[in-house]
Order: sequence, then structure tokens, then C-alpha cells
Amino acid sequence: MSTLLEVSGVSVSFDGFKAINNLSFQIGDAEMRAIIGPNGAGKTTFMDIVTGKTKPDEGRVIWGERNISLLGLSESRIAQEGVGRKFQRPTVFEAQSVRENLSMALKNKRGPFDVLMYRRNAEARARLEDIAEQVGLSDQLERMSGELSHGQKQWLEIGMLLAQEPRLLLVDEPAAGMTPEEREHTTDILVEAAKTRAVVVVEHDMEFVRRLNCKVTVLHEGSVLAEGSIDHVTSNQEVIDVYLGR
Amino acid sequence: MKQSFLIRNPHILVFMGLLAVFTIAVTLMSAYAGSDVISTSFVKTLGKTLCLCLIAIAMDLVWGYCGILSLGHFAFFGIGGYMVGMWLMYERTKEIVATSMAAEALPPTPEEVREGIGTQIFGVVGGAEIPWVWYFADFLSIQLALVVLVPGLLALIFGWLAFRSRVTGVYLSILTQAMTLALSLYLFQNDSGLRGNNGLSGLQNIPGLTDVGQDTISIWFFWASAVALALGYLMAVFFTQGKFGSVIRGIRDDEARVRFLGYNVEGYKLVVFTGTAVIAGIAGALYYPQAGIINPAEIAPIASIYLAVWVAIGGRGRIYGAVIGAAFVSLLSSWFTGGGAPDISLGVYTIQWTDWWLVLLGFSFVAVTLFAPKGIGGLFDLINPAHKGEKS
Repeated sequence: MSTLLEVSGVSVSFDGFKAINNLSFQIGDAEMRAIIGPNGAGKTTFMDIVTGKTKPDEGRVIWGERNISLLGLSESRIAQEGVGRKFQRPTVFEAQSVRENLSMALKNKRGPFDVLMYRRNAEARARLEDIAEQVGLSDQLERMSGELSHGQKQWLEIGMLLAQEPRLLLVDEPAAGMTPEEREHTTDILVEAAKTRAVVVVEHDMEFVRRLNCKVTVLHEGSVLAEGSIDHVTSNQEVIDVYLGR
Repeated sequence: MKQSFLIRNPHILVFMGLLAVFTIAVTLMSAYAGSDVISTSFVKTLGKTLCLCLIAIAMDLVWGYCGILSLGHFAFFGIGGYMVGMWLMYERTKEIVATSMAAEALPPTPEEVREGIGTQIFGVVGGAEIPWVWYFADFLSIQLALVVLVPGLLALIFGWLAFRSRVTGVYLSILTQAMTLALSLYLFQNDSGLRGNNGLSGLQNIPGLTDVGQDTISIWFFWASAVALALGYLMAVFFTQGKFGSVIRGIRDDEARVRFLGYNVEGYKLVVFTGTAVIAGIAGALYYPQAGIINPAEIAPIASIYLAVWVAIGGRGRIYGAVIGAAFVSLLSSWFTGGGAPDISLGVYTIQWTDWWLVLLGFSFVAVTLFAPKGIGGLFDLINPAHKGEKS
């Protein structure tokens, strides 16, 4: 398995506060990874750096087979390279229908003139309906996404991510505010997705992480505290001290 | 495809129908058709109103759909007017100069004609030289191209600088105000080459058509304005439909999210900003020959603010809303300020609408913003409860 994303020696500080401190992280082509850590450990900042929202003070972020640096690229270029991100709070376009939301996310040319001349075709429609099926929104396609329940919005966003066909999925607290059944469904979708691409899940909920059954990276004060299986990290004394033992 | 486009947008047919009926009715009631129900000057007012509706569509695209509150689009409107005005004034003056020189013994050389034109046009600002900006004033086709190119290029440069630096929201609005103010102040100077505060005048006279009366010319421009509005409407619907419309509405509602979907937000904004500037330029080029005169006061910052008010009152985020707002408010405005509305005597104080109209407009704007954010266009949702999409 080759390395898809390599973050090395990255640091960033905001007004003197070191949000990320010499962080290094690697993930392979088709791998599931959970990142856990207490509040302020730098989980969200880590995602901001990978997606280009925040520029680090130092360090490298290397992507893909051609080893290109993501640091010089804009957010939209990084997304086009194949990095998809799901935010903590579901952010869908509430004034637009579920179909419009998904259609916008479908992998296609992104330039203004390509989009202006874009015509819906049968292939795109089939793909869109397939994704809607996966996230259980098949019968909601024509509804305004603002009318959806919280859990449905979460799924719509996951659906939009899948539609982008990213090579790396960054998912911030996917299970927040979901019922147990919805969590299970979310777990299934993520596990399925990780078979063909890299998935990084940031999560507070240990039960959810356990169910993902994957390698876990524990962040603390902006750097990696421990890495390994869930049983390995939960038995690590340092991890217990800073996070689990609270 | 064409058919489904119309079926998905029934308002296109309604709008085109109403516009056609309106155009025919005005034509039949005008002096052109031998009637005296509508005066020629009112035909011009109506034609100008159609041009204002067109720039309101541009404003709705850039603000109502893409979320860029530009308070500078009247600058592009004015530039369009200046570009066509230069040709009108130059050619007209050329005719006058040629006529007066025809009486002389020797036929005038081209240099003498140019000199005569220079003195005629620029004597008022103390010059006789024809400034370089008038270089193409003799060529209609080039000036017409400039109607599109100059506003487009200005918008492209301005937008590129502003969007690239991620200037958004109120800061961008202030920048656009600064742009139109700067342009207006520059044009006020006598050495700007566009006759300072005198502006360009006599634009209602079409060179080569001196035998054609204003009755006829006014109707021609009225028709041209109606056609331009119809095309603008169709184009706006085309732009706001489908995926492009989805993306720009997405930019309005959550710019960062659109970026993480892989869309180059700045590029889209630039396309919309520049495209609408071009529409504004065309609207201005049709407006000022009907107004007869253009001067730098036309592109003062307040003009662009009025534009935002029209669109807000009409209902932003729907094309017909912008048209309704511009037509309704601008016609009402000329009725109130033109002395059409009777003064209200309160005994100790008499409300004169020429003074109080702005206050009324201000209150209406606040009221619409607070109580009916969908504007007048929102009333159509009451008739058609199934209306969805195009929400603001």
C-alpha cells in the first residue's frame, strides 16, 4: 500500500498559541483511520491544513503518487485533487433541493464555462440516484435540504462527499446528533468507502471509533501522542491520563 | 430541451407575453401611430424604464443570486452611455460643421472639419483639441464594441483584484462605491476628455436621421429597449438555471463550502461580476439616447444604491422581482418628484412630495427589508404556493 498523504513536521500557531506542534501523519491509499483527542488537540486545525484553509508556519504536506505539495494550492484545487471534507456541523445548501446539492458535488469539470454548458445526462442521473440510495435519501431528492432532519442533512453531506469521488475523505464527527440506527448506517457507509479510498474520521465518541475497527491516532496539544489499534491506544498510560481518564 | 426549459419556467412565457402586449399598446397609443394618448416624452420615460429594468436584472444576478452586493453597477451603465454618446455627439457635430462649411468657397479639408468639431464640442471646457479617448468616435461599430468592452474590462480588473484578495461583504460594497465615486469625480474634471460636468448632450438626435422625427426615434429606442430586456431576461434565466445557478446560489449562501466542493469561487464571481457589468453597459447605451444627456452626476454613488433598493423592493433572487422593482419604484419616483402626487396639507405643515419622496422611499426600503424580505415578487408565492427554488 502506497502513501497517499504525508504530513511531516507541520506546526501552526494562532496568536502565539501552538495549535499544531511538529505533527507528522501518514495515510495509505485505501485505509480507514480514526483521529481522537480532547478539545483543542488540533483535530480541526489538522483538517484545515490538509484542505488548504489554513497555511502552516512550517512543515510539508505531500500528496499522491506525483508527490505534489498541497501547501501552494487553493482550497478548490485541493478539492479537485481529490480531498473531500465533511464539516462538524452539517453544511448543505439549505435553499436548494437534495438533487441540486448532490448534482453540484458530482465529479465533473468545475470551470465556470464547463458548468454553464453542462447538461444533465442519463449517466450522471444514474450516479446521483445511486448515491442517494446509498445514503438513504432516494425519496427525498426533490425536497429542499433545509427541510431535512439533522441526521438526513449529515447523510446528504456524506452523499455529497461520495459524489465528489475523493481519494481522501476527511470526516469531522460524523455521528454527532445521530440516533443509534443512524450511527450504524453511517459506520457501514464509511467502512464501505474505506475499501476504495482513504478515510480519516475525527470523532469524540469512543464507541463509534471502536466500531470502525481501524488504526487510531491520538492527538494531544497539537502532536501525535499515540498511534495503533484501539486496544493499543486505550491501554497507553499517557492516553489514559490526558483523555480517557478524565 | 427548449420545450422543457419553458415548461420549467412558466414565468418566461408570462413575462414575454406581458412585455409584448405592453410594447404593442404603447406603440399604438403613441404619436408614432397617430394617437396622442401617450406623449413622446412619456414614451421615452417608458423606454428608459425598460433599460432600468435591464440593469436591475444585472443587479439581481450579481446580488440576489451570487450574493455580491455591488454598489457600483451604475458606473458600468454610465460608461455604456458615454461610449454610445461619443459617437452620437461626434457625428451630429460633424454634420453641423459640414453644413456650415459647405457655404465657403473652398471645400473644407478633413483637418478643418476635425478642428471645427473640436471647437464645437470642447469649446465649453476651454479646448479645441479632440482628446485621445475620442479616437474611435467616428466609427459606430467600434464605439458599440466599446459599450461592451470598457465596462467588461473595468469590471474584470476590479473584480480580479477584489475577489483574489477575498474581499467580501460590506467591504466589497464599499470598494464598489469607491470605484463609482472615483470614476464620477474623474469625469467631472474638464480635462478628463469627456466635457467635465457638462457631459454629453443632444444624444436624442440620431446622426443621418435628421428628417426622422422624435416621435419615430423614441418608438425605435423603445422597441430596442424592449428587445434588450427580453433577451436579458432569457439570458438571466439561462444563467440561474441548472448547475451554474446552483453554484452561484451556493456561493451566496456558503462560499467556503462551495470551495471545498472544488469550485473556484473567485472565478465564478468574476464571471458574474463582469457579465453583469456588460449587461449594465448595454442598458446604459440604450438609456442615454432616450434621456438625451449624460453627465458625471449620473454615476454618483447614490445611483447604484437606488439600484439595490429597487431590487430589494422588487424581491431579489428572482428575475421578475428585479424587473417589477425597477419599473415600479422608478416610475413612482418620477410621479412623486415630477409633481404628479398631490401635496398633503397638514395645516401647520404641507408635505410636498418632491421633498418627501426620498423619505417615503427610505421607509419603504426599511419596511420591505424587515417585514417582506422577498419583496413585491414574494406576492407571487401566495398565488402559487408550490413555488420553490429561487428562495432568498
